[in-house]
Amino acid sequence: MDSLEIRLKVNGEPRSWRVAPGDVLLDVLRRENYFGVKRGCETGECGACTVLLDGKAVNSCLVFAAQAHGCDIVTIEGLARGDRLHPIQEAFLDAGAVQCGFCTPGMVLNTKAFLEQCPQPTEAEARKALAGNYCRCTGYKKPVEAVMAAAAAQCGVRNAECGIRSPKNSALRIPHSALKRGRR
Amino acid sequence: MMPWLEAFRRPTTIAEALRLMKRGGRRARFVAGATDLLVEADPAARILVDVGRLGLSYVKPHRGGWRIGAATTMAVLEQSEGMRAFAGGILARAAASSGSIQIRNRATTGGNLANASPAADLAPPLLVLDAQVVIAGQKGKRQLPLADFFKGVRQTALDGDLLVEIILPPLNRAAGRRGGERSAWSFQKLGRVESDIAIVNAAAGVGVDAGGRCCWARIAVGAVAPTPLRIPAAENALQGRPLDSESIALACEMVCREARPITDLRASADYRRQMSGVLVRRALEECLEQVAGDR
Repeated sequence: MDSLEIRLKVNGEPRSWRVAPGDVLLDVLRRENYFGVKRGCETGECGACTVLLDGKAVNSCLVFAAQAHGCDIVTIEGLARGDRLHPIQEAFLDAGAVQCGFCTPGMVLNTKAFLEQCPQPTEAEARKALAGNYCRCTGYKKPVEAVMAAAAAQCGVRNAECGIRSPKNSALRIPHSALKRGRR
Repeated sequence: MMPWLEAFRRPTTIAEALRLMKRGGRRARFVAGATDLLVEADPAARILVDVGRLGLSYVKPHRGGWRIGAATTMAVLEQSEGMRAFAGGILARAAASSGSIQIRNRATTGGNLANASPAADLAPPLLVLDAQVVIAGQKGKRQLPLADFFKGVRQTALDGDLLVEIILPPLNRAAGRRGGERSAWSFQKLGRVESDIAIVNAAAGVGVDAGGRCCWARIAVGAVAPTPLRIPAAENALQGRPLDSESIALACEMVCREARPITDLRASADYRRQMSGVLVRRALEECLEQVAGDR
């Protein structure tokens, strides 16, 4: 068997690993202690293993490790800055969108890529974006609310940067009223 | 995970990819997005030849039509301004419906065709667009109509060669279009939710003259036969007639008659046959609305 060396960045850190030809990215990341990448269905249905590959959400169970050579990977471990959670993580907490937590890393990462591409989504667009992330606890109402709130909060931050006033601390704590806003 | 794999090759030229494939023989497979290959996990596959570094990801205008690189992902296709505008955006719409965003970010145009699933979502729109495929082999490149590419369930004309490009001819050439004519296009899909594998999918294109008469028609359906099918009998039922509920009903009857579906876990053969007619009716009605709206 010809093992290969892959060089990539994970959460901004350069890594160099030896992998087998049949290894998938999911297994290699978990082997390297990125346990936020969850092993679910392993057939690309559930989205629990979602990571960002060059900024795009992918199922890491359906990417050969060899294909990630030269790529930039972001896992859930790469989102918080020290003790400060990423605003999307805050939004999921505030909306009560986390129950057992197994699907959460994938949903948060997918949301991050989605909001970068579509900063002010409609609820229908948010629902479609999360179609590849299964939750077996609560369903999708609260995760969709979290996506909308995160979008509203991001929008508030951007407005603040442009000198437009927005609710206090909107990036960290989302007022409940924000859950009902955020339409285009 | 495919622990039985012995090698994963990452060539940077088409010639090298073909050489590696030839050397690997029956044990070698091309891999692009891997979204089908890793699910199928064929134990006979021992060597993979990755086509991700061959420069085959592009959507380019070409003589009034388009050239699409075989490694272009579904997500790139659906977001391409060109594809969203061309022929009512039916190809972009089909790409947008083919799985979750995680899948669409990896799955490729060429993979969707080369995998030769009867339910491939890109096949009906590409068939109605008279698409050609370009195949690179040891003896050079060859080009053939997509309709001749599919040979059966999971069988294609590739024979170990590499699908490198899909060519969309200009719409007016494809249709023999004349002045004063309006054209309209539609893509339809039936699944429990849109991103599912299709129970049935369909695409249609029509040209209608100033008097409301259908000058040409293209109709294709998927998941109702071993390969995606164009239905010339249904196209002929429309050609030369006014595009109205009567001619549409006749065309749908032809589609149901030509369908040769199977029963599987997603739907019965009977249901698929009936739905093939329903989807083509919806497609043609959408086309009719578009040409009526244009006028």
